[in-house]
Amino acid sequence: MKKRLAVLAVILLIVGTLFAAGTKDAKADGAPITLEWWTWDPIMMEQNQQIIAAFERDNPGVKINNTIVGTTDYWTKIRIQANQNKLPDVFTMSSGYVEEWAKEGLLYNLDSFVKSDDTFDLFYKSIFDTNKEISNSDSYYAIPFALVTTVLYYNKDAFDAAGLAYPNDSWTWDEFRSAAKKLTIDKNGDGKIDQWGYWFYGRYAHIEPWIFANGGYLIDRSTMRFSPDKNAMAAMKMLTDLVLVDKSAPAPKDMSAFQQQDVFPQGVAAMWVDGSWFVDTFRKNVGDDIRWGITRVPSGPNGSNTLTYGWPDSYALAPNTKHPEMAWKFARYVAGEGIGLDTYMAGKIPSAKKLATDPLFSDPNQQPGKDMDLLIEQAAGPMTTSYSMGWSEWRGYGGSEALGLNGTIDAIVNSLMSFDEAFKKSTDSINAVLKRYYK
Amino acid sequence: MKQKTADRYRLLFIALVSAIYIFPFLWMVSNSFMSDKHIFSVPPKFIGDLLFTPQMFDNYKNVITQYNFGRYTFNSIWVFTLAAVGQVVVCSLAGFALSVMHFRGRNLIFSLLVITLMIPVQVTIIPEYYLFLKLGWLDTYLPLIIPSFLAGAFGTFMLKEFFSQVPRALFDAGIIDGVNAYQMFLRIYLPQSSSPSATLFIIAFMNNWNDLLRPMLYISSRKLYTVTVALSQFQGQYEVRWNLLLAGSVLSVLPLIIVFAFSQRYIIESTMSSGIKG
Amino acid sequence: MRQSSLRWHSKVTPWVFILPTVIGLFVFKLLPIVSALYLSFTEWSLLGSPHFIKLDNYRELLASDVFLRIVRNTVQFSLVYVIGSMAIGLALAVLINVKIRGIAFFRAAIYLPVVTSAVAVGIVWNWMLGPTYGVINIFIEAIGLTPPYWLADMKLALNTVAVVQVWKMSGYYMIIFLAGLQNINRDVLDSARVDGANAMQSFFRITVPMLKSTIFFILTITIIDSFKNFELIFAMTKGGPQNASNTLVYDVYLNAFVYYRVGYASAIAYVLFVIVGLMTIFNFYIRRHTVESLD
Repeated sequence: MKKRLAVLAVILLIVGTLFAAGTKDAKADGAPITLEWWTWDPIMMEQNQQIIAAFERDNPGVKINNTIVGTTDYWTKIRIQANQNKLPDVFTMSSGYVEEWAKEGLLYNLDSFVKSDDTFDLFYKSIFDTNKEISNSDSYYAIPFALVTTVLYYNKDAFDAAGLAYPNDSWTWDEFRSAAKKLTIDKNGDGKIDQWGYWFYGRYAHIEPWIFANGGYLIDRSTMRFSPDKNAMAAMKMLTDLVLVDKSAPAPKDMSAFQQQDVFPQGVAAMWVDGSWFVDTFRKNVGDDIRWGITRVPSGPNGSNTLTYGWPDSYALAPNTKHPEMAWKFARYVAGEGIGLDTYMAGKIPSAKKLATDPLFSDPNQQPGKDMDLLIEQAAGPMTTSYSMGWSEWRGYGGSEALGLNGTIDAIVNSLMSFDEAFKKSTDSINAVLKRYYK
Repeated sequence: MKQKTADRYRLLFIALVSAIYIFPFLWMVSNSFMSDKHIFSVPPKFIGDLLFTPQMFDNYKNVITQYNFGRYTFNSIWVFTLAAVGQVVVCSLAGFALSVMHFRGRNLIFSLLVITLMIPVQVTIIPEYYLFLKLGWLDTYLPLIIPSFLAGAFGTFMLKEFFSQVPRALFDAGIIDGVNAYQMFLRIYLPQSSSPSATLFIIAFMNNWNDLLRPMLYISSRKLYTVTVALSQFQGQYEVRWNLLLAGSVLSVLPLIIVFAFSQRYIIESTMSSGIKG
Repeated sequence: MRQSSLRWHSKVTPWVFILPTVIGLFVFKLLPIVSALYLSFTEWSLLGSPHFIKLDNYRELLASDVFLRIVRNTVQFSLVYVIGSMAIGLALAVLINVKIRGIAFFRAAIYLPVVTSAVAVGIVWNWMLGPTYGVINIFIEAIGLTPPYWLADMKLALNTVAVVQVWKMSGYYMIIFLAGLQNINRDVLDSARVDGANAMQSFFRITVPMLKSTIFFILTITIIDSFKNFELIFAMTKGGPQNASNTLVYDVYLNAFVYYRVGYASAIAYVLFVIVGLMTIFNFYIRRHTVESLD
């Protein structure tokens, strides 16, 4: 009996090893060119396959291998590829890292392409330039495929019920605060607020838009140190006052049972600022449960909301790719030339002109209808960000969301620290991080 | 009579305690029958809104067909059964040697094994990744299986402890009968160990099954995905498909429960036949 | 008592048994561990090669008061976890150790959280511990007390996560304790019962001493497991608020995989290693003086 078990175990071992070792994807025989394409959004899996099929049809002899790595591990894996000089031919690059990667020479310099071909006829140069600015370099290192901006979402039903006019581009902060107060309602008289006028926490997409709309900045670009000017401080004070003084926004600790993107669609907050990509989520999950619209974040007393907080997602090429022309062709294809509007998350602004000008972008049959034109206007106008090297560490994002500036602002509105105390402490720790990257 | 009421109270208490443990899972199951927008609604909805409607199993159907969950479950079952078997084999051998045999370096090896248990995986994963990169084992199952067939710190530790407790009398009887080391192991010690071996099998299987970090880093080809990697597919850049994630999570727990139920038999069977009772 | 002169096998035989383990140990465990030690003396963002910076990482660690906070949290979490898991694991094993029909179902129910992914567990508990609508606080309010902010209160966050982790893993230790209980000679317990001992007496005077080896084993692994709290912290608090629930393992993750300071992360990990090592050595020391070994 034992002997039979032992024999079985050995057989299992042999079979298993063969099974384990022999399951690599067989390379397509006779395909002269194979391109590796790495992306990070698992939900786009099917769409990616369709795009590849179409490209391969139009370009016989080319095979594309799409590897999708989950968002949490994408950067680790791709950094290791970079370390090994084995970067994929085309891979997704984010605004948060483009500066570092460009500096380390890990991105193919695209100047030779864009300066001589028809790229700027087909794509918006301004978005390319935003990318170049974020990368803090003189050359183009990535081709943006989408731009995302930040907008003010507002619940039309809630405004109607409160008898208020909808927000518009020329709203002031006072009007905003007053509306927020009127929209904070205890519907059933049980002492608990059922609808808040506004909702936010220390998240970059919640805070920065207000700072920039007030003409402020967080990083002094000449010294690369954290040194928010008085406009930035005024913006953050206004926001924290909403919670602590006006009581028209909840403290984040009271909202911990909610997924952050559910607060607005469930009608728990009547207004919300975050990325334009949530248009997609709301179209799918909200449907017509509530009527909602988007508009610009209100201009602060010292700034203008024509300056948008927006940033591109792009594709970059490996610096040592064996097929630069074909890789560039494919990169342009997936960046907009060969794809349709349906492969974009609604609310992401394509950088390809033909897609951005597609009438379906502002599909009147889906919320928010004509409001979507705002996004195109934003894309055509000036943009800014707070990105720098080490951004996820000092800003607090993803796994470090509870720390950094994100955590600091949360501490203020959760009444753990006073406004001044919090900023004094965090200026030192943020600058310690920046010092490491920018001597 | 007193014993029966005591038993009944005991059963009641056990039921209450189990409720605390099973409640969150019931919430998960119930919400796996919910359409995406209602899952985190506040005030909370307990009963899935898709229950008893024609779309009741939509989330599950979606997960299995569109997202190929069946294939990934098969992958996980195969790979991790193999790894768990490897662990039992290797750790029994090592545990036996460390508890009953004498050789130089015995204490050193045991101490080193225990030391390796203490380092969190986050630290060694990068050098480990490089090792597999150099060996050319990336995008295969080898990194998930071979190490289990070579060394297992926890399993060896557990079986060493167990073998140390086997009554001296059995050992002496073996010596008197003139058995060699292999016979001592196969005929006397190993049969005693069905309980800890089964326990080790479950533990090794389960730890591997729920591991996300290693399969995520080592496997790129979609067809090789394990269950945990497949589940992470529902977490996109901007949103999480909770309804699918919960349905997938429920599905991924089922094989583990089956393995557990199957091996319980070995654990609860009293293995304590002292062997020398006259 | 070790009788090294009474070897009952050839010199080579043990090595046959232990060879796979030795190979695996050196190649797949010690090699990465030593590499990580080397990395702790470097600065490395994964791009390019590591730069040797000698003790700078350790200097930075020791000068940081956030780090001190994190070490304190780690030890605190560990205490709650070890004591909680052992007590509850043993209690559950004793409770469940009966031959009643259907007991297998309850055993599986208690084991269920062990096999549920930490992500799912974190989501569910986050929801149950919600300040206003979470079931736990609804209950607390119903009996007239003020419900606390379980995860947002700096004083409660760490212990709350630790308790959830104990809850999740208690089934695991329960089955190991069960295996140990099963191996206790029924005869001794029966004759004690005949002699008139009640349940409490036979538990503490017979069962527990006979479980010594199992208890020692579980003590060792709970200590080691108590430091593996990354997934739950990630799912529930992300180390917040203000590092209140940040532990060494989570900090290693942050530094290695979010900030890409692999050298610094390795240094943190080695501090963790030293702490765990000390606790384990202490544990072994106790064992040497209380448990008789076979040889």
